[in-house]
Amino acid sequence: MRAIAGIVVRELLRFLRQRGRLVSSLARPFVWLVFAGAGFATVFSGAGAIDYRRYLAPGLLGMVVMFGSLLAALSTVTDREAGVLRMMLVAPIRRSTLALGKTLGATLLGTTQAVVVGALLLSLLRLWPGPAGLLLGCAAIVLSGLALGALGLVLAATMRSIENFAGVMNFVVFPMLFLSGALYPVRRLGPWLRALVHVNPLAYGVDLLKHALLGEWAGTGYGGEMPVALDVAVLAAFAAAGLAIAAALLGREGGVTRTAFRSPA
Amino acid sequence: MTATAIDARGLGKDFGAIRALGGLDLEVRQAEFFGLLGPNGAGKTTTVHLLATLLRPTRGTARVAGYDVVREDLETRRRIGLVFQETTLDRDLTVEQNLSFAARLWNLPGRVAGPRIDELLVQFGLRERRRDPVRALSGGMRRALDIARGLLHEPRVLFLDEPTAGLDPRSRRSLWELIQRLRSASGLTVFLTTHYVEEAEPCDRVAVLDRGSLAALGTPAELKRAAGVSSLEAVFLARTGHPLAASSAA
Repeated sequence: MRAIAGIVVRELLRFLRQRGRLVSSLARPFVWLVFAGAGFATVFSGAGAIDYRRYLAPGLLGMVVMFGSLLAALSTVTDREAGVLRMMLVAPIRRSTLALGKTLGATLLGTTQAVVVGALLLSLLRLWPGPAGLLLGCAAIVLSGLALGALGLVLAATMRSIENFAGVMNFVVFPMLFLSGALYPVRRLGPWLRALVHVNPLAYGVDLLKHALLGEWAGTGYGGEMPVALDVAVLAAFAAAGLAIAAALLGREGGVTRTAFRSPA
Repeated sequence: MTATAIDARGLGKDFGAIRALGGLDLEVRQAEFFGLLGPNGAGKTTTVHLLATLLRPTRGTARVAGYDVVREDLETRRRIGLVFQETTLDRDLTVEQNLSFAARLWNLPGRVAGPRIDELLVQFGLRERRRDPVRALSGGMRRALDIARGLLHEPRVLFLDEPTAGLDPRSRRSLWELIQRLRSASGLTVFLTTHYVEEAEPCDRVAVLDRGSLAALGTPAELKRAAGVSSLEAVFLARTGHPLAASSAA
C-alpha cells in the first residue's frame, strides 16, 4: 500500500515543517498541568485519595491525542482549499484508501506526540503504572488516535472552509474535552450531560488511559469508570464507522467533490 | 492498444436544473494533440472532469484509453494525467517532495520513480529548484511542475485544463513551448481546453464548445474553410452567432 505510505509521509513532512505546531502541541499539556492543575486542585474533592496533578495525567494525554489526531485530520479542509485534495482524488486509489491514509497519518501524529508527552509527564509526576499499565496506555493512545482521527476526517469532509474551524473548536473540541472525564470524574454530572459523555469518543479514550495509568487508585473511584472492554469496543467502533463515513463523503460527487471540482467561473 | 484515445457518445451532465453539457459525441485519436475551444462556462471543465472520472455523467458514455469512465474508473485514472485549472501542488513541500508524493499515490516503485523524477525535472527546467518549497516558485514554474507531475506515471492521455490561464504573457509563452514539446513524446494524446484561439491554432483538431454543445469539429484549416473565414475567432462567431469573449492578448 504505497499510496497509504505516501499520504502518511506527506502528513509527517508537513508537521515537521510547521515548527509552531510542533512546539505548541508539546507545550500545551504542560501549560494545562501548571494552570488548570493548580486551579482545579483547590476545588478537587478527591484530594485525600489522589494528587490532582496525577489525576489529570490521563486526561492531558487524551487531550494531546485529540489535538494531535483530530486537528491533523481536519487539515484535509486546507487540502481542499489548496487543491491538493483534487489531486489525491484523481489518483488511481479508492476513496476508502484515501480515508485510511489520512486517518493513519493523523493517528501517527497524535500518538507520537502523546507518547513523548506521556514519558515526560509520567517522570515529572513520578507515576509508574508498571509494564502492563504502560502497554494498555499505548493501546489506549493508538485507539483514541484512530477514533479521533476518523472523526476529524468526517468533520473535514463536511466542512466547506477552514473558517468553520472556530466553530469546531467551540462546539466539538471543548465540549469533548470537558465531557471526557479528563478534568473531573463524570459520574456526578447530571443525566443530560452524562448522556453526552456516552457518545463522546474521547471519554472512552480517557477512561482507558485511567485504567492504564491510575490502576493504583482503582478502588477510590478516581480510576477508570467504565469497563476496559467497553472502552476498547466503543473506540474501535468509532474508528470503523468514522472511516466508512469519511470514505463515503469523500466519494460523494454532489458534496465534497463537487465543491472541489466546480470552479466559480 | 486502441487507436481511439477518447470516445464519448452522447456524454452529458446536469447540475440540478443547469445543463452544463448537452450530449457530446467526440472521438480523439491516439497521439492526437486535441483542442477544446470555448468561452468560460461553455462546459470545457465539466467535459474534462467527466472524462477523468471525477464527475458521473447524467447521460451518455465515454471510454478513455479503452476503459469505461464509470465502470472502470480506477483503470481509467491509472492511464490519464490531469492538470487542473488551478494548481494542486502542496505549497509547503519541496518540488521533489511533491513529485515523490504523487509517485507513491500512483504506486510507482522507488527505483522507477527516482530516475523518472530526475528526467522530468530536467525536461521542465526545475532541476535547480528541486529542494525549494513550491511557495517559492513563480506561477509559470508551478504550472510546469503541475504538468510534470501529470506526466510522472507516463499516462496515455494527458488532460490540460486551461493550462496557461492566469499567467503573465512571458510565462505563458515559455509554458506553451513546454506543452508543444509534449507532441513529439511517443504516443501521448494531449487533450487541451482553452479560451485562447492562438492555443487552439496549432492543435491537430479543434472542437468548438459553446453553451454545453459542440458547435464545430475539425482541423483548424477545415474549420476556417467550411466557415469561409480566416481565423478560429471568426469560426467561433460564424458557428455560434456571438464572439468568443475572451481576449487573445499574449
